[in-house]
Amino acid sequence: MSLLELAGVSKRFGALTAVSNVTLDVEEGAIFGIIGPNGAGKSTLFNLLTAIYRFDEGSISIGGTSIAGLTTQRIARLGVARTFQNLRLFGNASALANVMVGEHLLLHANIIDSLLDTARERRERAEAERRARELLRFVGIAGVDEHFARNLSYGTQRRLEIARALAARPRLLLLDEPAAGLNPSEKQDLLALIRAIRDTGATVLLIEHDMGLVMNLCERIAVLDYGEKIAEGTPSEIREHPRVIEAYLGAPT
Amino acid sequence: MHEFLAQLANGVELGAIYALIALGYTLVYGILELINFAHGDVYTFGSFTALVVLVALRAANLLHGAGLILGIVAALVVAILACALLNAGIERLAYRRLRKAPRLAPLITAIGVSFMLENLIELWQGAAPVPFPNVIPNPELEIGALQVGVQQIVVVALAIATMIALHFFVKRSRLGKAMRAVAQDRDASSLVGIDVDRTIAITFLIAGALAGVAGFVGGVSFGSAWFLNGFGAGLRAFTAAVLGGIGNIAGAMLGGFLIGLLESFSTWFIGGQWSNVAVFSVLILVLVFRPSGLLGESLPEKV
Amino acid sequence: MIYAYAFVAIAACVAIERFHNRKAKIAIALALAAFLAVGPRFYGNEAVFSILADAAVYVMLALGLNIVVGFAGLLDLGYAAFFAIGAYTYGMLASPQFGLHLPFWALLFLAAALAALFGALLGAPTLRLHGDYLAIVTLGFGEIVPQIFQNLTKYTGGPNGIAALDVPTFFGHSFGASVMPYYYIALVGIALALWISRNLRESRLGRSWMAIREDELAAKHAGIDVLRAKLAAFAIGASFSGIGGVLFAAKLALVSPDLFGFQVSVLIVSMLVLGGMGNIVGVVVGSLLLTIVNSALLPQINSLVDASFHTTLDLSNIHFLIYGAILVGIMLFRPEGLLPNRERRAELHHAGEAEAEA
Ligand SMILES: Nc1ncnc2c1ncn2[C@@H]1O[C@H](COP(=O)(O)OP(=O)(O)OP(=O)(O)O)[C@@H](O)[C@H]1O
Ligand SMILES: [Mg+2]
Repeated sequence: MSLLELAGVSKRFGALTAVSNVTLDVEEGAIFGIIGPNGAGKSTLFNLLTAIYRFDEGSISIGGTSIAGLTTQRIARLGVARTFQNLRLFGNASALANVMVGEHLLLHANIIDSLLDTARERRERAEAERRARELLRFVGIAGVDEHFARNLSYGTQRRLEIARALAARPRLLLLDEPAAGLNPSEKQDLLALIRAIRDTGATVLLIEHDMGLVMNLCERIAVLDYGEKIAEGTPSEIREHPRVIEAYLGAPT
Repeated sequence: MHEFLAQLANGVELGAIYALIALGYTLVYGILELINFAHGDVYTFGSFTALVVLVALRAANLLHGAGLILGIVAALVVAILACALLNAGIERLAYRRLRKAPRLAPLITAIGVSFMLENLIELWQGAAPVPFPNVIPNPELEIGALQVGVQQIVVVALAIATMIALHFFVKRSRLGKAMRAVAQDRDASSLVGIDVDRTIAITFLIAGALAGVAGFVGGVSFGSAWFLNGFGAGLRAFTAAVLGGIGNIAGAMLGGFLIGLLESFSTWFIGGQWSNVAVFSVLILVLVFRPSGLLGESLPEKV
Repeated sequence: MIYAYAFVAIAACVAIERFHNRKAKIAIALALAAFLAVGPRFYGNEAVFSILADAAVYVMLALGLNIVVGFAGLLDLGYAAFFAIGAYTYGMLASPQFGLHLPFWALLFLAAALAALFGALLGAPTLRLHGDYLAIVTLGFGEIVPQIFQNLTKYTGGPNGIAALDVPTFFGHSFGASVMPYYYIALVGIALALWISRNLRESRLGRSWMAIREDELAAKHAGIDVLRAKLAAFAIGASFSGIGGVLFAAKLALVSPDLFGFQVSVLIVSMLVLGGMGNIVGVVVGSLLLTIVNSALLPQINSLVDASFHTTLDLSNIHFLIYGAILVGIMLFRPEGLLPNRERRAELHHAGEAEAEA
């Protein structure tokens, strides 16, 4: 069954059509790749999925629910979490606190609990903290718990952002270029991490420029160029696809 | 009808003053994204410098005949220079170090500077309003059903002439172009060889000069100067700048006139004691329903 | 004399801030509380405790504003409006104005609730605004509220306000002319405000505020209802101010619109800036320092100078010069305040580094 369905989705910025008539089906439990040259509209697509922008045409549904008109926070409640191409951590807060914010929707303490520090608040806080430490270990950065996010190395920040996204136990995880700026050994770790994430049951939608990583990880890949989906298929199909080769290598002369 | 036209004329006169002040907010905001909270007090300083010059000239018995015209020009020029220097000095001493600081730091600094200026002006000229020398004769002219004072005409004409000069300066001159470039993208401007610090300093000079003109004109128009004048006038002018679309020069002028009219008509209909409520309600409504202002354009945040 | 109390309180705060041991912190806090509670039996007079009671009200206000500005990152320049709402609640409902003489204790709660309600009401339309714009709109609210009180003469006594407010009673005992009851109530108020501030900071709601302050977009992606969290900040912050307003009005036995102008809002912001925004203990220190400077130090220097030089200097004329200089000086030279919290220090330190690189 498909978890994410896009049908004829378009987004325009003035005269520029950043996403053009894109139709896409992502199976539950898949690792699905989205590739394409710079400016192809990949991040814009993610921004449509989390309602940073509204799409102009088409329809998007997640787990059978149409997201037209929903706010970002409502979409988060549908089980969507993401990372950003340009990291957006809470820089002046500890790594632990960053992840605990990610757990927001798992907690039930209300404003009264927060004001009076009730038993529920304390119990939930203890649990949230324990889970957050576990997640930091899971993404491979145990030990940075108390450090400020902005003081962490770039690779660590990338993983911290993934941990924050995972903290919400998402059904659909959107990763926007998670390997950017990582060295080869960090990339190997990332590959293993993304597989481990999928094995917990989450569906992963991955934007990535590193072809090796994408071809290795993804069961299916869609290719965007100038906002249009020009190809979709398994890694080996994509590798052979003439339009993809053309888009990446320029028009044949 | 008579009353309506009189209020209209008042509103335009007030509006001209607010527009001049609003231009100062908008220029600085356009280039630094800073609400220069002290700008209203620079305006007050302008009123007082003009006042002091005029009082001195009057005491020396120089204010008649051709001396009157020269005296008025001298007062205006001194106010312009004093305010330009003051404003640029504030930028140099208080704001420049904070360009990269978190957003609230420069605003809080600006509020601090505003408090200091108000207090210093109070120490200098006292806590009571000081009468502004009545240098421009004010016979009433009848134009159809409209009665206007000569003063009103001079005030509005001076303000409009200043705005036209500013418009050409920003659109045509090299410095004006540099200002627009820095406002658009500071880093890119410095890459193409624009001296960003200097451009920002000049923006403050010009904003200050405009406040100087406004100070003179305001003194003439209200007939007095008071150390707290700048607070209220500054807030109204800022509201005007936001109403027109902050950062937008034509918007500041339009907003200034609209706020002036709003103030004069709300005073007429519901009483002067409600004018603050009216002006701030407009500010809130504009920001809530059209945060980019009447002439501004909004850009979605890039992610 | 007053300096002895202020000094002990501030020293204790600094010690609490510097110690890392939790037990030591609690011990110092308890010792300070005991000192402030029993001290008056041995040392001090009404004039001193009058100033300290005022200082305590300001500490409460500053702690309330700290929730809005320090925790949620929303610069509110009209906070005095809620102080006014609290004070007028007492002024109108416990005075000859309407012949209503509701009990002081009930009005404390009513004022907190009313201020919270107005906090939410006034906050609602502004929540989508950011940074400077929000600051200016709140400033606008701060200007409108006292003006409305001033203009609705029939209900509020107009520019003269309402005088001869009821003297509160405690189980039938009138507070009389003494300021001591206010001093003790304000101490209890501070204790409560501190406890609530600490709870909030560590709570789910507190983390939501942190997220909003740091990156609103990322906060939304975590499923945080940003508008609700901001409304909660405005409402809770305002309620502190409402309680402070009742205390203030009852002690003064008077309310009038000129007591709640922009200067008061900026004074409270100055307290936060001086002490260190977001840091609970820092805020307490900042507000104590400023009130003491204002109501004890300046008048004393004044009379000292006058007496020795036979002048009639009036230093109260330079209050605003001093606040202004504090705001500018702190922003330029120690932007994190005297006692910053970890987070703010890092933020500002980082900004400094970026500048050095540039
Ligand atoms: N808020 C916006 N306003 C105007 N244009 C935008 C906006 N956001 C994106 N664009 C434009 O839309 C196009 C697609 O951008 P997008 O960021 O989606 O590309 P991308 O595929 O993620 O590229 P990259 O690989 O470089 O990250 C680009 O031309 C970009 O300039
Ligand atoms: Mg991208």
